[in-house]
Amino acid sequence: MTEAILELQGVSKSFKNKSVLERIDLSIPRGSVVGLLGKNGAGKTTLLKCALGLLKTNSGTSRIFGEDSWDLSGETKARIGYVPQKIDLYAWMKVRQMISYYAAFYARWNDALTQALLSDWELDAEDRVGKLSEGQVQKLGLILAMGHEPDLLILDEPAASLDPQARRTFLAAVIEIAGNHDRTVILSTHLTSDLERVASDIVLLKSGVISYSGSMDELKESVKSLTLRTERKLPANLVLPGLLKCETHDNHAVLTMKGVTTDRIRSLENDYAATVEVRDLTLEDIFVEVHRV
Amino acid sequence: MDGKFRFHVYPSAGAPIYRQLMEQVKFQLASGRLAPGDVLPSVRDTAQELEINPMTVSKAYSLLEREGVLARDRGQGMRVVGPVAKGGIKERREELKTLLKDVVVKAHQLDFDTDEVIGLLKPMLIELEKKNSSQEDK
Repeated sequence: MTEAILELQGVSKSFKNKSVLERIDLSIPRGSVVGLLGKNGAGKTTLLKCALGLLKTNSGTSRIFGEDSWDLSGETKARIGYVPQKIDLYAWMKVRQMISYYAAFYARWNDALTQALLSDWELDAEDRVGKLSEGQVQKLGLILAMGHEPDLLILDEPAASLDPQARRTFLAAVIEIAGNHDRTVILSTHLTSDLERVASDIVLLKSGVISYSGSMDELKESVKSLTLRTERKLPANLVLPGLLKCETHDNHAVLTMKGVTTDRIRSLENDYAATVEVRDLTLEDIFVEVHRV
Repeated sequence: MDGKFRFHVYPSAGAPIYRQLMEQVKFQLASGRLAPGDVLPSVRDTAQELEINPMTVSKAYSLLEREGVLARDRGQGMRVVGPVAKGGIKERREELKTLLKDVVVKAHQLDFDTDEVIGLLKPMLIELEKKNSSQEDK
């Protein structure tokens, strides 16, 4: 088994009486690029903050590199990079000063990488931080979080204010990290297009509960749209395991199902004396269908 | 092989990217654009060019290696060995039937009759056979 970099067990979190996370179990293996996908308000930020020990959980345990998230050692913290959704930086500093200020906290700092990203993202090192646009602040936040080449990079909605060009550069940087099998990236988003190219694993978070956690390939391979055609009249409501959506019209039905295998298709064909047409679903389709139920 | 072999992927498509890569290698082999002995671009180069996760590329290559389509060349990367038909005639017939089933359904939806479908299919098969035999002559 691959070593778990981040492990949550039974983590619950509520604010006042509002429950945000409910008994989250999650294990992130080393070397993965994980997309944490959920609608706005699903609890993505709270989950990441609990995992990082920035929020105290109500119950359950959270560990990073084997250490309790609430009580991380300095060495472990130095192995983590984090870009929050709202980035607080010193407005009066120049970009260049901001970077040296951050670099001073770390034993190792990759100057070549930060310089390359500055020029790729057309950030002027002499600009004042306070004068940067939202997108520029996000770029700077990413540079600051990647400069020490962390073993675990946690990004909360990293691409939200990036233009398409900068998004590509950002994804290329993540791909570069993914090429090194020891480093792990977790990024939260509500946009499936941010994840399709880079994520090896997907965690679907729906109203504080994980509805899927596992490989992206397996997710795409197991959730399918099936069209059933038969001479018989189909029941109005088909009851099948793993059924996410069902539209029946007399002698044909369109189903969205998880856990689809050739065996299951064959038994559907036999049970309903039907022909079954299987269609692949995009990550976005799956995201929408899973949230419908 | 004329020029460098290139993959094209559609990250938003329903089929996982590793499967798209695998199918392209097989398809290019079947159509003669890739031939045994050709070397595929490295995992790193492919991942960077397509802007996809390198693990996806190595997964596709490893599975093709297991199927006997590719072989790992020391220092050179992945070399094409040859189109290896997977499984016995029974399995292959089943696989073809699954693919044809989709075609049949689509043809029916587009309102083509049996003769028309066969009339379209036959010349395509003949053309491919011709192409493959002229490849072998070279």
